[in-house]
Amino acid sequence: MNVTAKSKTTVLPPLLLILTLLPLLLMPLGAIFVFAGRAGLPGLIHTLSQPDAQFALRFSLLIAFGTAVVNGVLGTFAAYVLSKYRFRGRETLNVIVNLPVAIPTVVVGTSLLLLWGPIGLLGQFLDPLGIQPMFAPAGVLLAHLFVTFPYMLGAVKPVLDELETTYEEAAYTIGANRWQTFRYVILPALCGGLFSGLLLTFAHSLGEFGATVMVSGNLRLRTQTAPLYIFAQFEAGNIETANAVAAVLALTSFVIFMLLQRVTQQRNRRAS
Amino acid sequence: MSIILNDLTARYGSNIVVNRVSLEINDGELFVLLGGSGSGKSTILRMIAGLTQPAGGRIEINGRDVTTLPPQQRGTGFVFQNYSVFRHMTVSDNVEFGLRIRRVAPAERHKRSTELLDLVGLGGLGERFPDQLSGGQQQRVALARALAYEPAVLLLDEPFSALDVKIRSQLRQSLKDIQRQLKVTTILVTHDQEEAFELADRIAVIERGYLVEANTPEALYHEPRTEFAATFVGGGNVLVGRVEQEQIKLGAVSLPLPPAAPPHEEDAPVRLLFRPETVYIGATPPAAGSDVRMLGEARVCEAMFSGSQQRLRLEMRGFEGVRSLSPPPPYGRRIFYIDAIQTSDRAAELTRPAPGDRVWVGLRHYHILEPSGLKLLIAYAETPGGKAAVAFGALAARAASGPATLLAVDDAERLSAARETLEELRRSWPGGPPPRLTTAVRPGAAAAEILAEAQEGDYELVILGREKEGLGPTARQILERTETPVLLVQEPRPQIARMLICTAVGEPGKTDVRFGGRVARRTRAAVTVFHVARPDSSPWERARVEQHMAAAQAVLDALGVTAETKIAAWQAEGVAAAIAAQAEAGDYDLIVIGAPARQHPARLRWTDFASQIVRQTSRPVLITPMVQ
Repeated sequence: MNVTAKSKTTVLPPLLLILTLLPLLLMPLGAIFVFAGRAGLPGLIHTLSQPDAQFALRFSLLIAFGTAVVNGVLGTFAAYVLSKYRFRGRETLNVIVNLPVAIPTVVVGTSLLLLWGPIGLLGQFLDPLGIQPMFAPAGVLLAHLFVTFPYMLGAVKPVLDELETTYEEAAYTIGANRWQTFRYVILPALCGGLFSGLLLTFAHSLGEFGATVMVSGNLRLRTQTAPLYIFAQFEAGNIETANAVAAVLALTSFVIFMLLQRVTQQRNRRAS
Repeated sequence: MSIILNDLTARYGSNIVVNRVSLEINDGELFVLLGGSGSGKSTILRMIAGLTQPAGGRIEINGRDVTTLPPQQRGTGFVFQNYSVFRHMTVSDNVEFGLRIRRVAPAERHKRSTELLDLVGLGGLGERFPDQLSGGQQQRVALARALAYEPAVLLLDEPFSALDVKIRSQLRQSLKDIQRQLKVTTILVTHDQEEAFELADRIAVIERGYLVEANTPEALYHEPRTEFAATFVGGGNVLVGRVEQEQIKLGAVSLPLPPAAPPHEEDAPVRLLFRPETVYIGATPPAAGSDVRMLGEARVCEAMFSGSQQRLRLEMRGFEGVRSLSPPPPYGRRIFYIDAIQTSDRAAELTRPAPGDRVWVGLRHYHILEPSGLKLLIAYAETPGGKAAVAFGALAARAASGPATLLAVDDAERLSAARETLEELRRSWPGGPPPRLTTAVRPGAAAAEILAEAQEGDYELVILGREKEGLGPTARQILERTETPVLLVQEPRPQIARMLICTAVGEPGKTDVRFGGRVARRTRAAVTVFHVARPDSSPWERARVEQHMAAAQAVLDALGVTAETKIAAWQAEGVAAAIAAQAEAGDYDLIVIGAPARQHPARLRWTDFASQIVRQTSRPVLITPMVQ
């Protein structure tokens, strides 16, 4: 009885919430697709098949994939070291590796330029050798690795922290060496965290703008990622073109998001 | 011998958690390490498995020295308290894991896991995942997994403590059956006595990192050697009497000293253990000619009916000169408690003793523990104080009739000379070298090494020389950190005939009365309990002091120590001066003061107080720190 009484009184608050969110969240999401679909499906396909748009989307996906793979390995390694070893400066390091979430991405871009750019701290030595990481795909990858580093760590480290040391010790006494223990005992236990970390990294890399715009030089057909392309097209007044690519990005993110939801749900069910 | 531990030691920071444990475990034996939490029992097990690195000592498994080997090469099977079954593997994959690592063919692996799962009672559940099993079943998987690769030794760390009572006893039975069937050498760690008794071929009792005693459950229960084992294993009543002409004197009661009892010197304290179920309780004294020894009359203060038996706590008036060790008597009252158990009898239900009843108590059986004495550490140094410490130590050692160690701390290159000096002292010991006097030398800084030796050797009293001017740096450092009572000597005394126990109201005050009482009992010294009253104390505070002094008197009376109390008025010079003046006036041989516990914030301030006392008197001062 209580339950029905309660559900009756809770009509108003959800309604208010939806009304508030309508202009903030829901309508903008819809707008992308409305504008993208203005020219009809053939128009959309035409816009997307332009070489610039094609490149931007492919480049973005490639960079996101590369970032996810590299940070997948690096982030897991960092999480393992930070979780399982006790050493001096561990707390400090823990804060530092999580810092990228707090720093504005444009600042990240600037600092990368100051390090790797032609007159940067390291770049000035690389420049004479003909190595120029900035304004090149490598620069974009570096920026994305920096910006998305905490996501992998954040997904994997809690799982490792929860994994009792006896889990590993059991494997050792059974006869498994360190590598076998990692491969057969720890890695499978990390699976869920690893997967959601990869998805998160991928999604954030796909949408990265601030740092990318600084380090890429926004060179079309060379370093222009999808978000940069959208911005460029919008500025040039090609709203439909911009929205077509935006719709693809939004759709991809949506799929990734649904996948993430499922993984977390599965993990929660297992945990309970 | 399947497993040999030799002087195994483990440290955690500067703390010793396992202290020179030596054990030999036979092939096929089910050996139990029994101890409270923090006793170091799990650390011993982890060192055998290679999961914790020992700070010293040797571990041998089947004739192979494995002390420095990694866990992978030791061939042990380890079962953890929290199961630690691999969650992402099926039950059979878990069991087969060790075989997979050893590259055993899949068919054979499967055969072995099927056999083992049948053995642990999980036949047919091989395809399940651990999440689908109960805690008890998961622990069975862990057991099968640890047995799969035929380990040299099976190690179980509190394997049943996370399970509920019913599952626990089922699993215990299974473990016992499996162990008998496979004849695998097994070491089990537990804090549960019942579990230890049910399972063990032999039990080792571990306490504060020491191996207290190891024996079969029967011997440990009926004939323990030590007080700790006697009171830790099963309930036990322990009284301390005196030996007099082959008899045990407990006040007015006299019992024959059994011929099998460990040798006691005439007039030495003797500790008598009797189990609750061997206590005779009756409305009438035991009949003459029966083999029940009469103890006296008692009042029932608690009665608890638990189905098959009735547990009673009896209160007896304290005997002159008899100390009760267990159950611990209440402070300040001259009584002791005796625990008794009667088996339930429907017919006798009506005559069952109830609280308040007066009953007659007798002993059907008793056992004599090994004489302990007071374990002394005498620190020698080439100073007048150091020499005085040895002279006074000799006096104390004779009275304590316990083991004593002469210790010298010196630079590494001068150790052999120091060793020789100590041997010379031992040979020329007044009255000839006592049999339980040993010598030890340590390189390093005096204060740190004396403290380390006191902790490692589990000494009960450290005797230390001091400077004429005051504490001196070594004594000060030791006083700031010690948990063991310290006796500071500047000038030796010809005898220990008069003791001044200075007490404050409250806990440290009780500690010095208790410990001072023990010393006085052994030295036969007359005691004055002394308190300096604050000038501005309220009537309520004065009443508390009176009460405290009366309690101290009762404690000392119960020990058979001649004691008087004295409350002095506060003087302008302060408490330390009042104590020093009293010591001179009464020509006391030993001043006893209590100290706050080592961790207590007041300890440092207190050390200054001790140094004030020491500066104003040249007499030996015994400091008894409270132990938390």
